[in-house]
Amino acid sequence: MTTATTEINPADTLRMTVYASLSAALIAAGAYMAIPIGPVPIVLQNFFVMLTALLLAVRWGMGAIAVYLLAGVCGLPVFAGGMGGIGRLAGPTGGYLIGYLPMVLIIGLIVEKTDKRMIFDILAMILGTIILYTCGVTWLKTVTGMAWSEAFTLGMYPFLIGDAVKIAVAAPLARSLRPLIRQAETLKI
Amino acid sequence: MADVTAFSYLTGASALHKMDVRFKLASMILCSLTTVKTQFAGLFFLTLVLGIILLYIRFPLKTLIRELRYFSVLLLFVFIARSLSAPGLPFIKLGFVTVTYKGISDGALVCWRLLNIVFTGLIFVATTRPSTLKTAVEWWLKPVPFIPEQRVAVMISLMIRFMPVILEQARETADAQKARGVENRKNPFYRLKKIALPVLIRTFVTADELSVAMDARCYTEKRTSMKLTAGKNDWLILGGVILLCCLMVV
Amino acid sequence: MNIIEIKNLSHRFANGEIGIDDINLTIREGEFVVFAGMNGSGKTTLFRHLNGLLTPSGGSVILDGISVADDPKRARRMVGMVFQNADSQIVGETVYDDVAFGPENLGLEQAMIAQRVSEALHAVGLNAHADKRPHLLSGGEKRRLAIAGILAMGSRVLVFDEPFSNLDYPGICQVLKQIVSLHHAGHTILIATHDLEKVIFHAQRLIFMKDGNIIQDGAPDDNLKEAERFGVRTPCATHFGKEPISWLT
Ligand SMILES: Nc1ncnc2c1ncn2[C@@H]1O[C@H](COP(=O)(O)OP(=O)(O)OP(=O)(O)O)[C@@H](O)[C@H]1O
Ligand SMILES: [Mg+2]
Repeated sequence: MTTATTEINPADTLRMTVYASLSAALIAAGAYMAIPIGPVPIVLQNFFVMLTALLLAVRWGMGAIAVYLLAGVCGLPVFAGGMGGIGRLAGPTGGYLIGYLPMVLIIGLIVEKTDKRMIFDILAMILGTIILYTCGVTWLKTVTGMAWSEAFTLGMYPFLIGDAVKIAVAAPLARSLRPLIRQAETLKI
Repeated sequence: MADVTAFSYLTGASALHKMDVRFKLASMILCSLTTVKTQFAGLFFLTLVLGIILLYIRFPLKTLIRELRYFSVLLLFVFIARSLSAPGLPFIKLGFVTVTYKGISDGALVCWRLLNIVFTGLIFVATTRPSTLKTAVEWWLKPVPFIPEQRVAVMISLMIRFMPVILEQARETADAQKARGVENRKNPFYRLKKIALPVLIRTFVTADELSVAMDARCYTEKRTSMKLTAGKNDWLILGGVILLCCLMVV
Repeated sequence: MNIIEIKNLSHRFANGEIGIDDINLTIREGEFVVFAGMNGSGKTTLFRHLNGLLTPSGGSVILDGISVADDPKRARRMVGMVFQNADSQIVGETVYDDVAFGPENLGLEQAMIAQRVSEALHAVGLNAHADKRPHLLSGGEKRRLAIAGILAMGSRVLVFDEPFSNLDYPGICQVLKQIVSLHHAGHTILIATHDLEKVIFHAQRLIFMKDGNIIQDGAPDDNLKEAERFGVRTPCATHFGKEPISWLT
């Protein structure tokens, strides 16, 4: 499959820079996008984070997240709920934001080391999600001083079903989107 | 969602508006970081200063409430969790939960600190034009090794530019699907896929076109960056902030 | 003097599809040329060779004596391009930032950039919107912003790919007026379109393309009547045996 502009070859760095920037914008927009199904709405942000990792791999995926977080630290309203700033990272849910970095790292690493079969993508996302919750729940517990059991009940269990849905949808999507962004050359950078 | 894109910047000409963004960014981060170590007395003092600044830049109360709406839920949550979890002298006993004095003061301290950090951030955003922000970030990243600061600046500005566009497209997609009765479908897999795929494809096609257009406009990473000039006032304010931070910690 | 000289230019895409096939063409400085042809006739492909966005499979493009392949950077400075989709070519967070993007890439001094941006914004009448966020502009304003972006780089040749798509009537008039006044200011203008109605009155030369070839090249008066033979709708006036009229009246 080729896209309309596949033939045109802006320097690879430029193209990847733009992909990463727009992924960061997508992740930021994802904070405001939710599907109201079931008791806990499915928020699209970490779904886009996983896809960014699957499509852009370690280097540019982490770049996208870093830019996203940096923009948030500087106060741009890119975190859920509108308000940005260090306050959000220091607040009870900050771990879920910082956790995107190791999450993308692990997913990206697995994607780069395997042959992009769907089973590996799914495995990568499951591992990534575990890491995300490790960061998120630990931080939640530290800031609020709750017991572990409470932290898990509030900060993880309600979201697991939604996460399973996201992983199940992200895997085939990544497969159909990969040809669109010409992954092959960029992994070698 | 168009209001998101206003980024809460207030046009104005106060000393803070005119302040060099690099100094302002540093001041904000310094303030936020020291707050984490501050006790009640320091917090009181800082809140006073921040309150005066909020009044001085005429921060509208309505915006303040709107911005704090979401965060106050988080704060309440932290407060309750803290006050229930600390051991010590019981303040009140409700059934099998005990609220302790130490718990209440702990909770109040943590919440107050977070609130101050949020105020600091709000003041920064309200007085800083988003397009100048990237220049300050670029300047601060310059000494950091292995980080291409020029590229980061371009990425931040592309992100600011395209976030509202993506949101608008997503809303269009969602509306079009609602018009065709998608809400009757309760299958979350179906719903997620149907909303995500068009948004993703459009974003990546835009990215493709954008990189060609940037190439056509001679894009290079060795570009002219915006010049910032620091004046005496900037140093004065930064000095004041450092002094304040030292006072708060001791 | 010929500002553009195209010699035996061919482009074959990676999938074997032929974009353009052995094109020869010269364009004089200050000409106003309209390229017409059906979807897929090769207009966009041809244009993208003018500033080196595509690399030819054969032949060459020479700009004012120097080949594009030898100095693509100069080609990009000299040939400014306004793309079909206005929304995905605006880079800056504000109107000002977007126009400054090109000059910044050229490494100009800050003061020089400010001057060029203000001149370009004046030229397209957007100076009052310098601090606006681009996605809040109207379609016609977005197109004019894109034009300002290339003016600020000092391009002599201005290339427009479907400049009127997705515009309402006032939008079309705004952009058309802009293009005509740039032509009067001495710029060389190249426009690709499959809708002759809007521009033909102002054009000095009309080129028909089909399947990657130039099949007709001449003054609009002479070859306008044949347009429909090449899959392009002729302007209404021509149907009734009249001269085309300007949209700017
Ligand atoms: N990236 C590509 N890969 C393969 N073939 C392509 C590619 N881009 C264009 N083509 C083919 O090249 C031919 C010329 O396309 P081009 O886009 O130049 O036409 P056009 O005259 O600009 O059409 P339109 O009026 O639709 O813009 C078409 O047959 C098209 O299918
Ligand atoms: Mg075309």
